[in-house]
Amino acid sequence: MSSIDWIVLTVTLLAIITYGLYKSSASKDLDGYFLSNRSMPWYLVLLSIMGTQASAITFISAPGQAFTDGMRFVQYYFGLPLAMVVLCITFVPRFAKLKVYTAYEFLEGRFDLKTRMFTSFLFLLQRGLSTGISIYAPSIILSSLLGWNIFFTNIFMGGLLIIYTVSGGAKAVAYTQQLQMIIIFTGMFLAGYMIVHQLPQGIGLVEALKVSGASGKLNVITTGVTNGKFDWSDRYNLLSGIIGGFFLALSYFGTDQSQVGRYLTAKNTTESKMGLLMNGLVKVPMQFLILLIGALLFTFYQFKPSPVFYNKAVEEKAMSTPYKHTLQRVKDTYDGLNKSQNNLSVAYLNKNSGQRLTSEQIKDSLRGINQQMEQLRGSYKKSIQKALPLADTNDTNYIFLRFVVDYLPVGLVGLLIAIIFLASWGSIAAALNSLASSTMIDFHLRFTKKEPLANLQERAKSEYSKSRWYTFGWGIFCMIVAQFANRMGSLIEAVNVLGSLFYGVILGIFLVAFYIKRVGGHAVFWSAVISEIGVVTVFILNQKGIIGLSFLWLNVLGALLVIVIALLLQIFLPAPKKQNPAIAGL
Amino acid sequence: MEDNPHDIPLFKKWSQWYLLVVGFLVLLIVLFAWFTKYFS
Repeated sequence: MSSIDWIVLTVTLLAIITYGLYKSSASKDLDGYFLSNRSMPWYLVLLSIMGTQASAITFISAPGQAFTDGMRFVQYYFGLPLAMVVLCITFVPRFAKLKVYTAYEFLEGRFDLKTRMFTSFLFLLQRGLSTGISIYAPSIILSSLLGWNIFFTNIFMGGLLIIYTVSGGAKAVAYTQQLQMIIIFTGMFLAGYMIVHQLPQGIGLVEALKVSGASGKLNVITTGVTNGKFDWSDRYNLLSGIIGGFFLALSYFGTDQSQVGRYLTAKNTTESKMGLLMNGLVKVPMQFLILLIGALLFTFYQFKPSPVFYNKAVEEKAMSTPYKHTLQRVKDTYDGLNKSQNNLSVAYLNKNSGQRLTSEQIKDSLRGINQQMEQLRGSYKKSIQKALPLADTNDTNYIFLRFVVDYLPVGLVGLLIAIIFLASWGSIAAALNSLASSTMIDFHLRFTKKEPLANLQERAKSEYSKSRWYTFGWGIFCMIVAQFANRMGSLIEAVNVLGSLFYGVILGIFLVAFYIKRVGGHAVFWSAVISEIGVVTVFILNQKGIIGLSFLWLNVLGALLVIVIALLLQIFLPAPKKQNPAIAGL
Repeated sequence: MEDNPHDIPLFKKWSQWYLLVVGFLVLLIVLFAWFTKYFS
């Protein structure tokens, strides 16, 4: 990176930290620290919800996903708007009426202590691990691309945000997320513009889309049906996106404290609902545009020399081994195909100017070449794996940043690198705040003896201080996880797969709590334990290739298992005790 | 948090907001299907 890029990066990051500290003036008690005194307007809630969900992985991995697999990943978000509606009808009023700090508090009143503890524990486990991945994901990419030491990059990535998160709590998280989202959108728009701007003369956005479409990258809607049969192992299609995505989004936004904690900061339920509904309106188009950058990047590399492997550092290491000649041979063939690809793309765009081949024939040839190039990329990766057995050969996450480093002008590179940090910080800060709130409210306060009410001020001060320590502690834990995270393929999928192992079961518990009043604590607790074992077993069977089921369906499976088993167990168990009227009346 | 039904922005009922969100999703899916077909 040039010195101007370093200045842009440093100034942007320092500005965010300073702004976070400046906005840290929340009242020094639990309400102020975890819920911003329930004072946030809807647009801050919206930006906070979006900033929490959109981590660095979203901005690095999604364009790479579109580049390799096309835009069908957007279908994964189709269930989200539907989930927002259900949340506004069911979850928000209930949480608001009980004035809870965490979603899991509700479960003790509805069921019992052990169900609350179990659900909260599943959340802490899942969120703690996935936050570690959220730190590691951008760190490994930046360290590889820019030659930074991974150990210090992890510390830099996870450590700096701790300053304002520990100090300012939920309020600092929300205000910094607002600024982060503005900078991120500006940077991504500029990156998209630069891709189209650097295409050869006469090729604009529409032409770029035509080439991308001809190569099969604009497959936004797919049915998942092959040979007249629905493929359950197909990861992203309309059905899995609407149903699986709905369950995942409902669980994530309704039962994951990192999101529940965001809309609990709203000043009333109207502001909470508006924040969630606006998220339902903007999320799908936003994700579409991010994926479009990847599809355009694919076209870009049809006209420019396309790297056979996007992780430069690993490639250079492999080239210094005895596999050098094998790799070079594959590379030469690939470069030759890249040139043919270029010629065919130009011919496809000029199809009406007296070409010998029809557009269908050109399209078929283009797809054929793309397939051959993908195969070559596969064998190149295999050779790298043989040369460097410990190297990660999945380069999906490097595609977009390789373009940034190789083709963006000075200054913009620094801004795009800053965006990776900011996007990470937005989601990690919210996660740390929620991990601390769940630890403090669901465990610490639940199991420690409270000081007498006479010392109310002292008690608030002590709780506030402990909450800050828990935030700090979780920050350290996540950085340690980040140091051990490795070789997880597409990191955006790794986080989603991890979530899907737990979210379905947690959602099932909440659905039983809200809708099936005759089921009591014992039945739901044991059904949750059995269901979690069931989901993990199905996941392992899928990994071993014994069954074929896309991870999105695990959310549906987990939720349905909890409901069905709880209903069955309840038949053999005594009826639940009469509930707290405040909960029963909801 | 308190709910004030008179504070619903733009519409009279929340159900109209819900309809807007679901309707917009349907519109997007239709547009995406056209986009996929047109550029393939």
